[in-house]
Amino acid sequence: MIVRIFSEGQYRVADGERARIDELDEACRRAVDSDDEAAFTKTFAELLDYVRAHGELLADEELEGSDMMLPPPDTSLDEAREEFTGEGLIPD
Amino acid sequence: MPGMSGRMSTIVKAKVSKLLDRAEDPAETLDYSYTKQVELLQNVKKGIADIVTSKKRLQLQEAQMQQQIVKLDTQARQALSANREDLARVALERKQNVQNELQGLDQQISDLETQQQKLIDSEAAMRAKLEAFRTKKEVIKAQYSAAEAQVRISEAATGVGEQMADVGMAMQRALDKTEDMKARAGAMGELQDSGTFDDLTTLGPGKDDIDRQLEQLSSGGAVDDELAKMKAELGSGSPAPAELDAPAAEPAQADADAGSETAEK
Repeated sequence: MIVRIFSEGQYRVADGERARIDELDEACRRAVDSDDEAAFTKTFAELLDYVRAHGELLADEELEGSDMMLPPPDTSLDEAREEFTGEGLIPD
Repeated sequence: MPGMSGRMSTIVKAKVSKLLDRAEDPAETLDYSYTKQVELLQNVKKGIADIVTSKKRLQLQEAQMQQQIVKLDTQARQALSANREDLARVALERKQNVQNELQGLDQQISDLETQQQKLIDSEAAMRAKLEAFRTKKEVIKAQYSAAEAQVRISEAATGVGEQMADVGMAMQRALDKTEDMKARAGAMGELQDSGTFDDLTTLGPGKDDIDRQLEQLSSGGAVDDELAKMKAELGSGSPAPAELDAPAAEPAQADADAGSETAEK
């Protein structure tokens, strides 16, 4: 499957890794829900590192549709909340 | 309940399909998006240039403050030579304050430098992505006019659309950062223009008497030390022209005191 980390690039990750990625992704959402900045920062970094460690970075010109999309590495808790409650981080 | 990624993917996909559905001809949409993103990239470049300008301005202020420190130091020595320890103390207190402000300015400049380098790096990455997007866009346009399978085109367009959203977001964030940095550098410049750095013995904005007094307590020791050092230097060195009058008065006074003491006995 393809995972895109915004402002970083796309990674090709084995389908078998999905479960762990979903788990970390879910933990990020819980951190946002409970407004826990420390937990969010830690879990989000862990999630990104996991994708980087288990994925293979695609070349810039490959441009495939992604199965998962993750916000940029410098996303703050406030911005992550915006992703859930507002219009998201993508400008129109 | 979906995780963060699920929510993000939904939003991005919705935006991309909205964008692609807007025009009859996806080629037009792609061209338009590309042009818009090239413009955004120009803005990022302009933002970087503005930051370089702001940084130069702060560096100029830094040089001025360094000159001011030298000037205040000279004034303190002159005052001490003329036996005006009170004036010397005021000059040294001001010098101490300018030195503190200079440290803050140093930090600002090095922050600006770090941010500037990050922006230059991300601008290069965005330019590379945009170029990849341009190439892919032409391929998709060719496929479209060749009326290839619609599914395949839309799949390719999805990848390109995502990339557009990605570069768009990266540029928006870069622009926000440049605005933020310009505002910070500008605020520092205004502080200088308003004369806060020129006359540091008056109260600056946001500083009350307690702040000022606490600062004096902490800088007082440093001023005393410097004053003592300066006195020692002046005492051991050959007298400067300005101090010729003053020391001459002292022995006379001492003699007079000694005279009155012996007279009392």
